[in-house]
Amino acid sequence: MRRTITPSGIVGAVLIATLMLIGAMWQPLDPHAVDLQATLQPPSFDHWLGTDHLGRDVASRLLAGAQPSLLAILIVLISSLGIGLAAGIAICFGPPGLSAFLRWLAETALALPTLISALLLSALFGAGLVAISAALIASTWAPYALSMAALLERLRSEAYWQASLALGSDTLGAVRRHLIPNAWPMMGALAGADAGRAVILVASLGFLGLSADTGRPEWGAMIHEYRIFLFSEPQLVLAPVFTTALVALVLNRALDRGHRAG
Amino acid sequence: MTHLAAARFVGITGVSWLAAVAASFLLIRLVPGDPVEVFISHVNIRATDELIAAYRAQWGLDESLPVQFILWLQGFLSLDWGVSFETGAPVSGELFQRLGWSAAIGMGGILTALLLGSALGFFASIKAGGLADNVSRAMAVAGQALPAFAVGVVALWVLAAELRWIQPFAGGTVERLVLPTALVAFFSIGSVSRLVRAGFAETTQAPYLRTARAKGLPFRLAVWRHGRRRAAIGLLAGIAPDLAWIVGGTAIAEIVFGVPGLSERVIDAVAARDYPVLQAYIALVAFWIILGLQLCSAMRKALDPRPSSAVAKA
Repeated sequence: MRRTITPSGIVGAVLIATLMLIGAMWQPLDPHAVDLQATLQPPSFDHWLGTDHLGRDVASRLLAGAQPSLLAILIVLISSLGIGLAAGIAICFGPPGLSAFLRWLAETALALPTLISALLLSALFGAGLVAISAALIASTWAPYALSMAALLERLRSEAYWQASLALGSDTLGAVRRHLIPNAWPMMGALAGADAGRAVILVASLGFLGLSADTGRPEWGAMIHEYRIFLFSEPQLVLAPVFTTALVALVLNRALDRGHRAG
Repeated sequence: MTHLAAARFVGITGVSWLAAVAASFLLIRLVPGDPVEVFISHVNIRATDELIAAYRAQWGLDESLPVQFILWLQGFLSLDWGVSFETGAPVSGELFQRLGWSAAIGMGGILTALLLGSALGFFASIKAGGLADNVSRAMAVAGQALPAFAVGVVALWVLAAELRWIQPFAGGTVERLVLPTALVAFFSIGSVSRLVRAGFAETTQAPYLRTARAKGLPFRLAVWRHGRRRAAIGLLAGIAPDLAWIVGGTAIAEIVFGVPGLSERVIDAVAARDYPVLQAYIALVAFWIILGLQLCSAMRKALDPRPSSAVAKA
């Protein structure tokens, strides 16, 4: 299991995240403004990517569509890092029963079909960020927990770890001083993969026609809405398709390997 | 011993399936919103209290939760999956018609991925950094980093609009079976090939391979003969995320290519909170994943000559 961060990967991921943040807060035109005099316009200086069937500016909608993805990334990363860290420490230092149970739970969680869980949670809680984040967290915490536990196992035999304990440090203190700095590269790599997964899952649900609010711009929902124009105005569909693919790919490439959204 | 293993296999599969189904059953029942009221609001009739009570009795909703679950389980096992809130038709009939499409795409997808991915992984291990190795790595990256619907939509656009090779949504076999299967397989080939490659690559470094070469076996044949068991074990150990992927991937593929499979119906059911349909779908998905995981682990145990205590340590 090689999981490392590459400098170019980090630069790309930071760049994309910044662009998404800007897009979520600022758009050249109102993404909701309907203009029935100017429907299905080709790209021009006023409308960088043209307009859709209601005359709305596609570029502004794409930029505004970064917001739900960005929110999902934040929620998922913070929760799965926290849960994964706690579970990893519990697997390593907890009583054998708890440790075995958590390990089993983590391995089971890897086999959860994320998209299907998100679908079913949408039925229960309504389509939206709650369902998407819950479905993602249900499976994303597991790799953090398992790799955290593996890292701890390895650390335990290191001389500096034992020296730290011999000097009177308690386990949590040693975890904070020696495990966390050691874990950063791997955590960062996993986080990149999960950010990519979050983007893909948000867009996949939108594509299936289950976004929270069809009026609000979201990449998957745009593809769902515009798909009837695939053969007449392909740029309407391809713009959000390539945006989603590019963002997911760049975020994911901050790392070497991980797991797939689906 | 074989009987014991078979009984254990059936027992674990059954218990895990029951646990998954019971958990989802409970979750659905705990969410606010009475199924009868959801149904009444769908069919748009003015309901008297008697009518509501009659429906509650008919669907067994006036029983306690454990009794409801046992009633549902009896129904599910005897292929009576209840009545759709949305259409009023029996769920089993509706889903059976569609199950064939989804099963064909899902099974076809994973079999294709296993065949092509194993071949790719084998050749990738022969020469590290060679063509097959690079293709395998690129497929693995694409498989985890690209959205399936994006690849599907672009493929549909290129094949139907630009090349005009297919008639979109015309209902031919190519559009409804071949392309969706290829889409599902595309996203698994990479990860399968990396797992297989890792198994064979370990063998190429092993001392017994040098011995086999010294005896005069050609390199590829030696790697294949001595590495295939290890590669198969590695593949079976790492395939779990792909089993889960197949379900979601089939859903995306069906929607992209307009296949009348399970997913279309399930998405409607999600939007309409059609719980009997969702409950049956959960039971089917849970069965597929749990059976798949158990089969993989059973095959792995059968293939692995080491005792399981030694495997756990390794």
